[in-house]
Parts: sequence; structure tokens; C-alpha cells
Amino acid sequence: MRPLEQAARVLLLALFALVVSPGEVSAEAAAPAFVVIVHPSNPAGALERSFVADAFLKKTTRWPDGGVIKPVDLPPTSTTRERFSRDVLKRSVAAVKTYWQQIIFSGRDVPPAELSGDEAVVQYVLTHRGAIGYVSGGARVGDAKTVSVR
Amino acid sequence: MWSRGWLAALLLVVCPRVAGAAEVPIPGNERAVEVHGFVSPGFLVTTSNNYLAKSRRGSFEFTEVGINFTVPITDRLRSGVQLFARDLGPTGNYSPKADWFYLDYRFEDWLGLRAGRVKIPFGLYNDSSDVDAARVPILLPQSLYSINNRDFLLAQTGAEVYGRVRMQGLGALEYRIYGGTIFLDVASQTTLSTQVTNLDVPYVAGQRLIWETPVEGLRAGASLQALRLDADVRLPDRPPVSLGVPAVLWVGSAEYALHDLLLSAEYSRWIARLESNDATVVPPARGISERAYAMASYRVNEWFQPGAYYSLYYPDVKRRSGREAMQHDVAATLRFDINHNWLVKLEGHFMSGTAMLSADLNDGRTPAQLDRNWGVFLVKTTAHF
Repeated sequence: MRPLEQAARVLLLALFALVVSPGEVSAEAAAPAFVVIVHPSNPAGALERSFVADAFLKKTTRWPDGGVIKPVDLPPTSTTRERFSRDVLKRSVAAVKTYWQQIIFSGRDVPPAELSGDEAVVQYVLTHRGAIGYVSGGARVGDAKTVSVR
Repeated sequence: MWSRGWLAALLLVVCPRVAGAAEVPIPGNERAVEVHGFVSPGFLVTTSNNYLAKSRRGSFEFTEVGINFTVPITDRLRSGVQLFARDLGPTGNYSPKADWFYLDYRFEDWLGLRAGRVKIPFGLYNDSSDVDAARVPILLPQSLYSINNRDFLLAQTGAEVYGRVRMQGLGALEYRIYGGTIFLDVASQTTLSTQVTNLDVPYVAGQRLIWETPVEGLRAGASLQALRLDADVRLPDRPPVSLGVPAVLWVGSAEYALHDLLLSAEYSRWIARLESNDATVVPPARGISERAYAMASYRVNEWFQPGAYYSLYYPDVKRRSGREAMQHDVAATLRFDINHNWLVKLEGHFMSGTAMLSADLNDGRTPAQLDRNWGVFLVKTTAHF
């Protein structure tokens, strides 16, 4: 085989390995990166992405029935939060932090509470009507209601 | 003080009326007071001309510190206060003051009422301009967000109506309308050549509209503000004179923020008239200034975010030549987030023009006598929680 062809094959293989890494394939196939959960009494079965984003940025504070939305976050170091932030809020966690700095220090609002992990988020959602949170795809959500985000 | 009585009256009017409107007292630990704060010491040095402080030899007089308390009283009513102190060259000297304090009642997302001393929404960043952690540059573009105008333009004491509505496929509209007054410290406005004996802002009123367009991350805005400043002034070897400055300020804004990219640009004109009761001491005048900037920043990773901007300022749109008639500012910043609560920034500016420089800081040399081209280097570190 000529050296040029050999180099091209190696490059192609490397690219393939990068694009279809075993970790990603199994992760995607096994479970989504995160699921959004609400209190079991919440009638919503699916939510618009823009509504969820507005709720977590506290631009929208009420459910359609008038109840208070109570969003809860995971810690800023959480990979689940990073994925939720990029997919739903369309910003990195750091950019969202900066957004909250502007809101906090101009006296307009305070950010959602940050809970320690999936279990704490599930517990909060189960005990607060109006709560909305997200947990990793494989987390046990118990009686909390999973909603899809359109 | 009128504001205290007015706030109490407002509460009495508002609270009983909303009691039947699904208002829920905040239970237990959810009513906890949220405490946030920051400490931002800094250093600046200029290649020539003194800027903001005695900067030619380098100055550490470039520090802000603030702490705020926010408490939800019901699910619709919230209260908060921020204490703030700073040292910036000859101003501040760590004298603490209530930066803002308010009662905020949100009837619905489309209608809320804030009363007290509240930040003025003007342009994209005025109401967060004193928070270093909330932006990339150390100095926001000074043509629009002059650190020297902080006392005038940061907050007003009065009331604000605000809200936000989603418009189906057309994005969302956020609006804020306010009116009140601004309390100014006479001492802080006195310079070497001018003694201010009385200072009053009879009114400030304005609005800001922000349209969150259907394009993800793109928003456009328009702000308008009208205010009047009255002052009794004494100039060296001249009789006292009473001055009035009615002014109208407007700014058009655009911002694109998606994932780690932030682009923004704003254009503004400030139209002011100078009224005088003694034209022989201070002749009446009218002027229109022009201010604009374009800014970009990109978060490379969790800890590193570079940014840059170009900003221009013409104190008089009819006069665009001469070093004292302009200030062009090209700035570059490196922001390093050491962790989630601590950051360090380095920033350099190339300045052409002297329009924003003061004779008081430059040993009486007027802007026309100062060096046309000069540089500024700043370092700032901020801890926040």
C-alpha cells in the first residue's frame, strides 16, 4: 500500500473513532442525557423548550393554571446540568451564571436553588407543587412525573 | 422621607387587593434571606494622562464592594437591599450607601411594580454596570457606561412598572417604565475649579423595551430617558449662578448571545440644554453628544474568556476634530475564572482623544492640552458569592 493511501486510511479510522466513540453510542442508546421532571399533580405531559428555558431563567414564573413555578438546578459542576443548559437554555453553565450575576446584583431576582444531586432534585419535586427539575437520564425518579421537552 | 411613606402607602394599597389573587405565603425555609456579595479590588495605570485616578504612576484606588439581601415575602412580593462602597480615584473613599432597595410586587409575568431605589434600565448593561463578575470587560464601553456617571445614571428613587409578554412566533417583549428622582451628593460633584452648593434632580423618567427576537439569542432594544438637573454653582472669582440642564437620552441596542458567544452593539445620543440665570457667567448652550460601541467575547472554556470592543464618543456631534472633541477606545480583555466564585481580569486600552478626561485629575491641564494618544492597563480580581 502506498504511504499516501495508508495515511488516508489512518486518518479516516481516527475520524470514525472520534465521531462514533463507544461511550457516546452506548450512552445515547441507554438513556437520554437528562429528563425533566415535575410534581405528579402537574397536568403537563410535554413542555415547549422556550417555556422550560423561561422557567429556569425566571422570565416566566407561573404555570398556565396560575401556580408558581419552582425550578431547581443541579450543581454547576454537574455534567447533567451542562447538557441541560446547552440543550434547553442554549447557553453554557458559565454563561447562565453570568446572566444570574446581572439579575442578582441589579436586584431583580435570585437564581433557582441548587441541590446536591439527582436524589435531592427528585425529593424536592415530589414535595413541592409547581416544582420543575431535571435529573440524569438513568436516575430513579420515583413518583415524579417525567415530561418531554419539545 | 417621602419615599418611606409612599412605599408604606403602596403596600397598603397593593397587599389587600392581591390577597384574593392566589397569593401564597412563602413557607418555612423557602422564605430564607438570600445573601450575595462581591469584592473587586483593582489596579490601573496609564501611559500618559491621568484617567479615573492619578493613574500615570499607577493607582490601586479602583475597588468596589457590595452585599445584598433579598427576601421573598409572598410568592408575588419580594424585598431587597444592596449596600455598596467604592474607591475610584478622588471619589467614593469607601463611603457605604444603599445602592438599591425595593419592594417588588409581580401581579403576573406581564405586570410587576417595583418601588424604592431601583436600578435604571438604560441600554443593555446599565443596571448591572457596577458588577464586575457580570461581564467580560473591566471597564464597560465608557462612551455609554461611563464609570464617572455612576451617581447620575445607575439608580433612581421612585417606581417602576415592568413586565414581559411572549408573542407566539414573534419572540417576547420585555418592558420597563420608570419615574422618580435621583439623590446626588453635592460634595462628590465639586471639582477644583467649580464649587457646587446645591444639586437637585426634579425628575427622571424613562422606559426600556427589549425585543427577544425569534432568532435564538438575538435581542434588540430601545431606551429613552428624560431628566432635569438643577445646580447652584460657584466659579472662581465669579458670582454664584443657577444652572438647569434638561436632557433627553436615547440608545438603540442589539445583542446576540448564544452558547459561549456574545456580540453586542449600541448607539446613543444625549441631547442636553444648559439654562443659566446669568449669561455673563455661564452662557446658555445646547449640545448633542454621540456614543457608540461594538463588543465581542467568547468563552473558550470554563475558565478562559477573551473579549474586545471598540467604543467612540463625541461630546458634540457638530465638532468632530481636535483631540478634546473625541475619544476612540480600542480595548481587549482576558477573563480568567479561577473557580465559580473568583475571577481575575487583565485589560488593555488604546485611546485616541481626550474627551473623557478631566482637568482636575491632570493638574489643571485641559483635555485640549493632554496627550492625544495614550494607553490604559487594568487588572481586577473579583470574589463573589
